[in-house]
Amino acid sequence: MEVLPDFEILCPNSAEEAAQMASKKGESRYMAGGTDFMPNMRRGLEKPKAVIDLSGIGEMQSIEKTGNGLRIGASVTLQQLISADEIKSDFSLLAEAAETIAGTTHRQTATVGGNVCLDTRCQFYNQSEWWRKSNDYCLKYEGEICHVAPTGKICRAAFSGDLAPALMVHGAKVELTSAKGTRTIDLKDLYQEDGADYLLLEPGELLVAVLVEKLEGYKTAYRKVRVRGGVDFPLVGIAAAVKGNGTQLEDLRVGLTGTNSKPVSLEGTADLCGGSFDETGFKALEKLVQKQIQPMRSTFSPSHYRRKVALNVSRRLVGNLLEN
Amino acid sequence: MSAPIPNIEDLKNAKPNKAAGARIPLVDGIEKVTGKAQYTADLDDHGAFTGLIFRSPYAHAKIVNLDISAAQALPGVMAVITGEDCGAPFGILPIAENEYPLVKEKVRYKGDAVAAVAAVDAETAQRAINLIKLEVNELPAYYTPDEARAPGTVDLHERRKGNQERSVNHEFGDVEAGFSEADLVKENTYHCAEVTHAHMEPHAALAEYDAERELMTLKSVTQVPYYVHLMLTQCLGMDSSRIRVIKPFVGGGFGARTETLNFEIIACLLAKATGGKVRMQLTREETFLTHRGRPETDIKIKMGLKKDGKITGVQAEVTQKGGAYGGYGIITILYSGALLNAIYDIPNVKYDGYRIYTNTPACGAMRGHGTVNIRFAFESLLDNIAEELGLDPIEVRRANLLTSEFETVNGLRGLSYGLPECLDWAEEASDWKEKRGKMPKNKGIGIGCSHFVSGAGKPVHWTGEPHATINLKLDFDGGITILTGASDIGQGSSTIITQAVAEILGVDYGRLRIIANDSAITPKDNGSYSSRVTVMVGNAAIDAAKNLKGILVEAAAKKLDCAEQDIECLGEVYRVAGSQDPGIPFQEVVNEALVGTGTITAKGTYFVPEAFQGTGKQRGAAVGSSPGFSYAATIAQVDVDEDTGLVTVEKIWVAHDCGFAINPLSVEGQVQGAVWMGLAQAFSEETRYQDGLHMAPNFLDYRFPTMVESPDIEVKIVEPIDPNGPFGAKEASEGALSSIVAAVASAVKDATGIEMTETPITPDRLMDAMIKREREEKRNASKKGAA
Repeated sequence: MEVLPDFEILCPNSAEEAAQMASKKGESRYMAGGTDFMPNMRRGLEKPKAVIDLSGIGEMQSIEKTGNGLRIGASVTLQQLISADEIKSDFSLLAEAAETIAGTTHRQTATVGGNVCLDTRCQFYNQSEWWRKSNDYCLKYEGEICHVAPTGKICRAAFSGDLAPALMVHGAKVELTSAKGTRTIDLKDLYQEDGADYLLLEPGELLVAVLVEKLEGYKTAYRKVRVRGGVDFPLVGIAAAVKGNGTQLEDLRVGLTGTNSKPVSLEGTADLCGGSFDETGFKALEKLVQKQIQPMRSTFSPSHYRRKVALNVSRRLVGNLLEN
Repeated sequence: MSAPIPNIEDLKNAKPNKAAGARIPLVDGIEKVTGKAQYTADLDDHGAFTGLIFRSPYAHAKIVNLDISAAQALPGVMAVITGEDCGAPFGILPIAENEYPLVKEKVRYKGDAVAAVAAVDAETAQRAINLIKLEVNELPAYYTPDEARAPGTVDLHERRKGNQERSVNHEFGDVEAGFSEADLVKENTYHCAEVTHAHMEPHAALAEYDAERELMTLKSVTQVPYYVHLMLTQCLGMDSSRIRVIKPFVGGGFGARTETLNFEIIACLLAKATGGKVRMQLTREETFLTHRGRPETDIKIKMGLKKDGKITGVQAEVTQKGGAYGGYGIITILYSGALLNAIYDIPNVKYDGYRIYTNTPACGAMRGHGTVNIRFAFESLLDNIAEELGLDPIEVRRANLLTSEFETVNGLRGLSYGLPECLDWAEEASDWKEKRGKMPKNKGIGIGCSHFVSGAGKPVHWTGEPHATINLKLDFDGGITILTGASDIGQGSSTIITQAVAEILGVDYGRLRIIANDSAITPKDNGSYSSRVTVMVGNAAIDAAKNLKGILVEAAAKKLDCAEQDIECLGEVYRVAGSQDPGIPFQEVVNEALVGTGTITAKGTYFVPEAFQGTGKQRGAAVGSSPGFSYAATIAQVDVDEDTGLVTVEKIWVAHDCGFAINPLSVEGQVQGAVWMGLAQAFSEETRYQDGLHMAPNFLDYRFPTMVESPDIEVKIVEPIDPNGPFGAKEASEGALSSIVAAVASAVKDATGIEMTETPITPDRLMDAMIKREREEKRNASKKGAA
């Protein structure tokens, strides 16, 4: 049993109060379900002075309809998301992605916000204090070198949340609160390609809710590649929304996870749309994926494999959606 | 006395409990499923200090200075110990004791135990660990057998030059002559990654030292309390009578705990140093580092077959990466060779095995000890050659069957052989003839066979004592207490022993209770390894029950005033055979039996017959010998996803010859467990080291299958009745395991045309192989085009 560090637990009743607490306490961390955060603390990857427990904030726990979309509270659990009536008809992609996350018991407590903000993962990082010390730590935390790419200056830990690509396909925005006020930004702008600093949050800023739009006339699917059908994080996760039929492709949206330090919202798909989609189109799609993903040696499974399956699965996923 | 008096109808209708062959739930199952079972980490640790280990961050290094002064000075720290406090080395094999509980002079792998701390709480203990300073001179470290064996390397152990722990070179018959008789001889190489047991319960120990009386009590997660007792005696320098070893409920072992492990001794050393109680609960990572798993193995194997499929000779070279210490290593490398035999009739067998020390955690015994990897290679090559000769894989195995009474070229004997029936059932149940080679693209079906010993003919420590002993206590209350040293680690040994006693005495289960594994109470047992318990302890239980029955029959005869041979024992009732008298209840028989003697203790023992202790003259001939061999034939059906290289196992048909199923429910559970463990090694589990650091010391990256991966499993129990077994039983857990790896590899080949020669067949490895084949096909096509 690894010993937890000493910390203070703060229990705010509102998002605003939480943000105020965070601004007063330096070195604090928000905790929702804690399914990822707690093991990380036990491994010495997090040493906050204060933990701000979000479980008492009612306003973050509901799913509300908003005209053409939904406002999903960041503290909504994955299981709540999977079984919510509001999700079933027009947002089944979110439930499909959520169902692939971790194990049944994790999903009872793990939250939407937690998965959106999930710490990036790496085989040289998600290890015990003894292990990391024996390996001279790493660029992401307490060390100088990225063991994945030792000549580089940037951390290559992989973003591994399954919800983000599905949310991006739904044009998600995120509602953020801090002591300075509230702002809403596109979900894709929440991330940057740096495994050690992957979230573009201001200090103390809290993710309160995710806003998604209905996709009219689209067919959607999420495919997660992993060695085991349960528990595992994605080696590659791909969410796709297709508007079209047979060989005609009107619109295509693709989101990927597990391949980079941020979830990838595939760019350039518009060029493939608006006409007949044939082998040339599939090749062009593969090319887009090939160019925009960058799987590295951050997982136990090799990176060349992740690159190859990202291409295969993108092709298969889009092909299947078009056909059906 | 306290029993209700049965009425006459009860007496008349009495029937003995037909316990052997009954599908009863495990006798300790209720405690487990209700959460009442107390595992080592659950035990009362009131007043216990927390023990923690300081582990080496270096793979191979000479210790220059180990400074524990700051740790010792920290308030709340009760003791800090190092190699200097360790008087004697330990090891499971008397000829290979080369490990100290805490290292002396040098460290040999990243994770090696250097010092240990006992403190008032975990936080203080951790702070003390952080204060320990280790200064070393690093030595070259070797992570592969080739590196470790290269000329000019530094020896890990002084007495093992060139880092070779053991070489085994055996030839039985004349393998070259065998190959010259063959119509086709082929050779191939295979590679199996290192795997570990991944038992659910992490390692833990609770040691208490009574400083006034100089007594040590250890409660630990072991499979072998007796061997732990021996090693404590040696390493603590205490008289064995002052030591008590207790095994509480254990959450799995699979071989990880078949030898004394360093933390068990460390816990006791700390308890002695503090003069109190010390609790150690290792993390999952530390449990991985303690290891003792199946070694990474390179296999070069050559086989000759005649056109009709008859094997004329087999030659194998096996190299095992043993890790930093000996452990069971010598036995593992011997088993790999010995168990080339006793499954098929092979006249000529040559074996060269090499066990090499490397700077990684020590390997040891793991379910299917020594045989899983070589069996995968053997079965794969057999398929390969059969295909080239145009033979069906099942037919080629049928062409090489043994007879039910056999002696192999290396001197192994058996008295039952259910493999033919296993093959027949698997072939029929799976619809093999309609499927093999005939399934749609990327779907396939494959077969593997395997076998295992039912206990080693000779125990590790030869003392001249029986292989097993059981005591039964019967007292005024009419309850029978079974006292056994056999370690139930989840495999169901307590249940099997209970059923054996119930069968012989015919009494209700409610009359029986079993107390296991407390050296102060229960008779010595060598432990749960080499699948020895059912046969050895089961036979001892039968012997003990028969002895007790003799006493009861004598008492009943006295009470009923008849000759002993006229007594009919109906379990809960004894009567005069053929008489109209309904007889007397069990309690009355007990009351009579106690007259003049009081509490009754009956004892039963078992010795392995000498002919089954290995008849070969070669060094290590005892390894592989057993009172009986179990057999299994497995057919697997798979589906391969071309996009991802992921293999879905759709169905497993597995027939297991366990001689006789004393508890078919338990046998099925054990065989299903073997299927899962086999699938795990076949597809996903592997340990890997980078610069000696374990890259998957957790259950996320060490990927054992989940329920999602579990296929539909059909188990067939084959019961040829082995004359050496209790009621004809043999082992029922390890035998099927190696057939699983072989069967799925064979199925993957049927599905894709690719023979995977490396385990685990991870999606990336299979994908690489598919891409390679695609390229080759393109190249060949373009060559043809050019021509």
